[in-house]
Parts: sequence; C-alpha cells; structure tokens
Amino acid sequence: MQEAAKVVSNGCSRCQCALEPDDLRCPVCGLATAPARRDAAAAQVVIVRCQACRASVSYSAEAQAPKCGYCGSVMRVETPEDPVEQAQAFLPFTVSPDEARKALGRFLARKSWFRPADLAARATLDAMKPVWWPAWVFNAKALVSWTADSDAGAGRAAWAPHSGQTSYVFRDVVVSASRGLTAKECEALTADYALSMAAESPRGPAEASIERFDTARSGARKLIVEAIEKEASGRVAKAEVPGSKSRKLKVAVMLSGLETVRYALPAYTLAYRYKQRLYRVVVHGQKAETILGKAPYSGWRICAAVLAGALAVGVAIAVAVLATR
Amino acid sequence: MDVQCSSCGARLALEENLRTIECPYCAASSIVERAADPERPSPTFVLGFSVSQIQARERAADWLRGRSLFAKKGVHKAAVENVRGVYVPAYLYSSAATSGFSADIGEEYQRTESYTTTENGKTVTKTRRVTETEWRPLSGRFAEYIPDVLVTASRGLANEELEAIEPFDLRLLRRYDPALLSGWAAEEPSMSGSQCLEVARREALERTGERLSGFMPGDKHRGLEQSTELSNEELDLCLVPVWVMAARYREKAAPVRIVINGQSGEVHGETPLSWLKIGGAAIALLAVLAAIVFALSGA
Repeated sequence: MQEAAKVVSNGCSRCQCALEPDDLRCPVCGLATAPARRDAAAAQVVIVRCQACRASVSYSAEAQAPKCGYCGSVMRVETPEDPVEQAQAFLPFTVSPDEARKALGRFLARKSWFRPADLAARATLDAMKPVWWPAWVFNAKALVSWTADSDAGAGRAAWAPHSGQTSYVFRDVVVSASRGLTAKECEALTADYALSMAAESPRGPAEASIERFDTARSGARKLIVEAIEKEASGRVAKAEVPGSKSRKLKVAVMLSGLETVRYALPAYTLAYRYKQRLYRVVVHGQKAETILGKAPYSGWRICAAVLAGALAVGVAIAVAVLATR
Repeated sequence: MDVQCSSCGARLALEENLRTIECPYCAASSIVERAADPERPSPTFVLGFSVSQIQARERAADWLRGRSLFAKKGVHKAAVENVRGVYVPAYLYSSAATSGFSADIGEEYQRTESYTTTENGKTVTKTRRVTETEWRPLSGRFAEYIPDVLVTASRGLANEELEAIEPFDLRLLRRYDPALLSGWAAEEPSMSGSQCLEVARREALERTGERLSGFMPGDKHRGLEQSTELSNEELDLCLVPVWVMAARYREKAAPVRIVINGQSGEVHGETPLSWLKIGGAAIALLAVLAAIVFALSGA
C-alpha cells in the first residue's frame, strides 16, 4: 500500500483487519478494541459534577449526554463517531485535456454499420469536465465457504448439490462510491489505474473537480463487505462450482486483514452534440485508449439491415419450398 | 455496602446489586466503582438511553391499548406505575465459528405419469405431470464470525425478555464512562461470566444453525447436522438501557410487567388473558356453527 494511504492505526487481534483510531469494536468480527478497564483496588464513589456550576449532573436521554438540571449545560462525553470520510489518496491525471479531446475524436470516427456516416464530421464537443471520482480500494484475505446446485453429477433431477471451501487473496479491488458515473462505467475504468502513483494531494487540470464520498463510515463498511461477497461469489462461480451451469450459489465469507483506502480516481466526462441531442462519453484519466460512451444510431441503416434480414429469410423460405417440390 | 455521599457527607446503604445511588438529602447521584472482582468485572461499554421517561410511558400506554380482545378487563386502560430506567448488565459475545455440516438436499424434477379415470361411464387412461424430489447427501465446511450475541447478566431481566426487546444499535456503543450512568439506576452483574458464556455459546450455535439452514442449496433439505467449533471467544460487559414498569389493571391482581428498549422503544410484556372471554367466544362460535348445521340439515 502507498505512503499516502497509511492512515489506519492498528489491526484487530482476531481478524487482523485494519481499524480506525476511534473504533471501539472491529467492524468485521466484533472484537472489542477498547482496552479493558483496570478495576479499582478499593471501592470508590464518583459524583459527576457540572463543569459550569459544580452541581451534580444526570445523564439526559433527550440530550444523550450528561446535562445539568440547574444551569442546563451539557457535558461533553465521548460520542460514537460515524463520519463521512474523504479521499486519502489521489491518482494524478496523466492524460491531458487535449489528449482526452483527441480520444473523443477517435471514438466518434470508429466505424460501425449502425452509426451515422457523418458522426465524426457533424458532432460538436459541448462540455468536458475532468473529475476525480471516489472509490474504495481494498486488500483482504477471505476464507470462502460455498454451496450451489450444478448440472455436474446430476441424476434424475437437472441439478446436484455441491459445496466447498477455498481461500482467496484480494489485491487492490476497486469498489465505486461514485454517484456521477454509472456502475458499468466505473467497472470499465478501474482496470487501467496505476494505484502505485497515489499521492496525498490532487495533481491534474486546474478546473478538475473532486466528487465527494457521501456515505458515512458504517455505511461504507457495509458496502465494502457486500462488494467483497459479490467478488468472492463471482470467483467461486467461475473457478469452483463444477459443471457447465449452476444455480442457487451461496457464499459465507470469513475476512481477515481487510485494509481499505479511499481513492480519488481521475477521468474526463465529455458531452458531444449530434443533431441537437447530447451524448455522454467518459475518457480514462490515465489511459486515453480506455473510452466508453454512447453514440447515435442511424435510423435508415437499421431499416436497411432489417429489410435485408427479412429479404434473406424470405429467400431462404422460397428456396426451401422449391426444394421440397 | 455503605457509601458516603461525597456531596453532603451522608452515609448511604447501597444495595449489593446496584452501581448507582441517589442521596435522599442532597439529590446528588453517586456512581460506585467497586473493587476488582473477576466475577463482577467493570463494564467495557455503555449504550446510553435515548427514549425519555415520557416517551416510555407513551409507548407502554400504546402497547396496552393494542392488546388483544381476550386480554383481562381493564388491561387496555391500565395505569402505568413504578417507571424506572435501568442500565441492565449484559455480556456482548463474539467468536469465530467453524462448522462441518451434512444434510440431505432435495432437488425437484418433473415426471409424466399415466392414470385411469372414468369419463361418461367409460374408463380412460390419461397422463399428468407430477413433481418428485431426488434426495442427495451433501457435506461440507462453513466458517463465519459471530459478532453480536447479547445475553443478560442480570437476574432481574430474563434473557427471553432481553431477546424480545432486541435489537440494540451496537454502532452507538460508547466506552464505559460513569457520567453516562449519573442519575440512573445501574445494576451490577448478578450472573457469573461463566454462566453467561454458556448461554451465549448456545445462542451462537443456534445462530450458526439458522445460517446453515439458509446456506443449503437445492429446493429443500432435511436432516441438517452441524458440528461447530467456536474459537477466539470474547465476552465484554455492557450496560444496556431498559425501561421497566408495572401496569396495574385491577386492585388485587398482579400488575403486568412491561420492559422497553431504552434505545429503540421496543415494548415487551405478557398480556394476562381472560379465560372467561376466551370460553365465551368459543361457546358463541360453537352456537353459530350449530345454527348453520341445523339450518342446512332442515333445508
């Protein structure tokens, strides 16, 4: 993991997952991280006093803190933290705005039968925004237990039950936290980032904006664990379940050594106009060849293809009818 | 145990099962930290009250109003009294569970069968699709953490009562601080750690059994057996907020005990049922059925 990303204080002694300094329990396995209180050698009586008027104070359910019944002042006590945390590591833009524009040009010039022939000539760039989109990147080990039905070994029924247990190591798996980019766009972008280039501060075009993380820590942890389960499920389906088709795959994941870093990843979002309509394209901020987006369809070309298809089917039927006579 | 109020100097007798006391002379709340005792450790965590006494009373009144028609007379409008907010000691248990399991998994398939029937006085043979189950044995391994098992450490609140008002939002756990107890009754654990560990283990195994049941593939399963080892166990004493009160519905009858989760407001109590009302309803139902049968037989 990079220098910029090391913010965790220590690890859980049961599952070795990274902990934040104010965690009282491990978010993965539930082990208490708070040091055990040292019991007093002899009994002692404690009176909690108001720091303002020295009267004895009581805990107030409304204020959820000790509150003085005389002067109304609320005592500050340690409260559970669930902050919305921001990026710890920024990947620099290595694709310049000019290169992103050229990438759009290449995207528009791609040949496809269903695209209008004049797309590259008539499309105009409407807007281009460099953006750092938020993502969690995790490393973890997982003991994955699974069960599934598959066609391997099936008897009278089409399915036979199978089970297994396997260990996986997840390295630099990216989970999107972006609301601006779609899940499909993020998935296509993630493979081409050089995470080793992470720095503490953003480096890129001056006009680049930073999309903020908007999920509180507890929600983020839930999303990350769900993403790990999904990733594990995908790997099991691909590599572990025997047979050619399967159903009802269930996984149970026992995580260890989970470390998560909040990244800001660079990309360009571009909008181009063709015949009064806007289309969106996303260009990778570190690899201009990775570009994805929408392009218009040519109506008459689609009609021509449908007609040609219908004609081919008609001819085939005619030939078949003639052949049977 | 005698303690001296450090506000006015009065000597007060503190019950053995309590951790807090209010001075009757100066109203100062004292928290008593007893000397080290392995059977009575200091709490690690506290969950603060967020339901006030007024809200707890309202919840109890709503709960009483919503009782069944067969509740004893007066229950729906019973007066709530002796409302006490208590920090109840409970152990928070967590561990790693590794299991071996075996079960028969049922995979369904369809089969066409012939059958004979009579149509218009003639015997005809027909076919129909029937669903059959093929049972296949499956065994395997399962591993998961069990993070949040909460069991009572108080003889004053049965584990069933605690389970009935769970869940508590454990994300709001705070490190133990005497200031969080000030002004409230707080109990010391009256059950030993080893007793609570046994209860927690039972609950952990039940939870693993439920997880395994949902983990089985196929269309159905039977004969699920598990052999689970719980390792890396941890037991932390926690004080959880509970409102306890009594609802008196009749002068000489025992009041209804109501417990309310001091964090979520979840209510639990045993409704006293009126056997007179249940018997009356059963007789009325029988009378209606008899009348229908009589009417039909007459027709």
